[in-house]
Amino acid sequence: MASIVRPTMLRQSCLKAVSKQTFSTKPTSMFPAINKPAASVLSKQVARNTFAKGALPGSMRVAAFHASGRRPILPALPPNDAAKVPTPHPSHGSYHWTFERAISVGLVPLTIAPFAAGSLNPLTDALLCATILIHSHIGFEALIVDYIPTKRLPKTRKTFEWGLKLATVVVGVGLYEFETNDVGLTEGIKRIWTA
Amino acid sequence: MLTQRIAQQSLRRLAASQPGLASQSMAFKKSAAPALIMGSSLQARPVTTQPIKPSDSYEILVAQRKNRPSSPHLAIYKWQIPWILSITNRITGSVLSGAFYIFGSAYLVAPLFGWHLDSASMAAAFGAWPVAAKVLTKFAFSVPFTFHSFNGIRHFVWDSGKAFKNATVIKTGWAVMGLTGVSSLALALLL
Amino acid sequence: MAALRTTSRLFAAARPAFKSQIRTRTMATITSNGTATAPAVPPTQTTTVKEPAADADSKIKTFHIYRWNPDEPSTKPRMQSYTLDLNKTGPMMLDALIRIKNEVDPTLTFRRSCREGICGSCAMNIDGVNTLACLCRIPTDTKAESKIYPLPHTYVVKDIVPDLTQFYKQYKSIKPYLQKNTPAPDGKEYRQSKEERKKLDGLYECILCACCSTSCPSYWWNSEEYLGPAVLMQSYRWLADSRDEHKEERKAQLDNSMSLYRCHTILNCSRTCPKGLNPGYAIAEIKKAMAL
Repeated sequence: MASIVRPTMLRQSCLKAVSKQTFSTKPTSMFPAINKPAASVLSKQVARNTFAKGALPGSMRVAAFHASGRRPILPALPPNDAAKVPTPHPSHGSYHWTFERAISVGLVPLTIAPFAAGSLNPLTDALLCATILIHSHIGFEALIVDYIPTKRLPKTRKTFEWGLKLATVVVGVGLYEFETNDVGLTEGIKRIWTA
Repeated sequence: MLTQRIAQQSLRRLAASQPGLASQSMAFKKSAAPALIMGSSLQARPVTTQPIKPSDSYEILVAQRKNRPSSPHLAIYKWQIPWILSITNRITGSVLSGAFYIFGSAYLVAPLFGWHLDSASMAAAFGAWPVAAKVLTKFAFSVPFTFHSFNGIRHFVWDSGKAFKNATVIKTGWAVMGLTGVSSLALALLL
Repeated sequence: MAALRTTSRLFAAARPAFKSQIRTRTMATITSNGTATAPAVPPTQTTTVKEPAADADSKIKTFHIYRWNPDEPSTKPRMQSYTLDLNKTGPMMLDALIRIKNEVDPTLTFRRSCREGICGSCAMNIDGVNTLACLCRIPTDTKAESKIYPLPHTYVVKDIVPDLTQFYKQYKSIKPYLQKNTPAPDGKEYRQSKEERKKLDGLYECILCACCSTSCPSYWWNSEEYLGPAVLMQSYRWLADSRDEHKEERKAQLDNSMSLYRCHTILNCSRTCPKGLNPGYAIAEIKKAMAL
């Protein structure tokens, strides 16, 4: 409907200003030559020139083809800046991840071994203790990084980070004492478990 | 509808291009001069506007955000295997590591306070407990231990880039839960 | 209709001219025969126009929708309930929302555009799961009441419209475009084998609706620094692209504790993706590529 009516409307409103020839777009118009390629190009040229010369009244040049009024486009705002890219720290990134996985993978045989062998010899037991300690340290570290953001709680974050380091050292010393003075972790757990 | 719209448009256009003609051709011949018509069609707006520089937009955004609420998250999110098992993994890990840390540090300071945390006396003390308490305590440790172990293996499979399909994730999740139940009960009751 | 409106407007414009001479007349009062001033016929003598009774087979479902109006910033967000007859509503959640906005409450605000899951505008939390309203069927069980929230842990602009500025900023930071230093061998185009192209399947289809990122607890807690599943999957889309020559820069960009490694393989992202993509897998592949 609109596609039929609009050209009609256009033609009618342009009648006074421009000649019929340049605006008749219907194939059934009284100037069939207009539909030949070369002629149509020519006629378009003519039409454009007529427009350019200001043969039409001002209001028509603004909204000849569209019923809605022309709205000026707002000036472009500066685009959003990209989020800041942090400097690379492989020791906190890829190396850390690989190390963490290595420790975790190492824990698998060390965890299965006591179930298979009953209890571990002191060296393997110490190794298990150390691995669990590192694994725990990394785990707690992840908790701190996840739940205590530096941006919002910088002091709490620092406190917890150093607290964790201190705790790990204390626990490490305590486990060293336990390993050297007592029966070892696996044997100790076995004793209590079967008590 | 469309024809009416066209009529409206052409009328408006005509009025805009030739105000004199428009006023003559309009139905209200007895009305006053066109200047008066134009004047009365201007709207008086009670709203005032204020020019803003593009650089101010960030400040405006920040000011707006201060008022904006944060949408609800954990409380409204549907309980689904992926995140429930993930947080359980974290909790069980923390429980185990927490116990490990508490024991390690307590063992170091035990002589200062006269605690008996050596394996022999602890085993003797634990052995004196009633059976139900013993089993419950064992169960409280065996559940996090087995869950964290089995889920850890699930994580290794993921880290190798496998088993990421939603259906597989659900299946392995249930498998971990089943294995945890069985093995933790076995550890608590049989050993 | 519209033509009439124009004419009346022109009349209205002319009105002040003869305001002083005759009394201004409104549409309703016709004073010539004096009927307007007569008392109204009492209700006892007229029939009552009743609201149409609900059909016997109507399926009334309740929707609880999160509401917050920035014009009243001090008021708390609230849940507003609406009931719709599912027989008169389209099958999708978006149909229900549009119907509520059209027929019940025009102040309800939400984003929507394509209604076919390709624009990503109508991402929201429906019944506890992030999804596109246009791809989410309304559960036909009328006893269960549906709850609709904005995307979780986002700043709410209004009602179900979240502020995704940070999400888009992060997307921009990964440089989501082809980076090449060398010209194409044939001087025309950068060619890929079928296998190379196949690696991009399941990655390029992402419409950035932010469903996955806002389902990720890690992203909830650390959205300032952690990039989130959607952006990381797009990062992998360029890491996996055989034509891209800035892979090392791309990897270095992620090589810190926050950008990538806050992912703990929770996999809410893959579970919730309305397009059936797997951001969790993409992130795992990035980690693998960076570990070696």
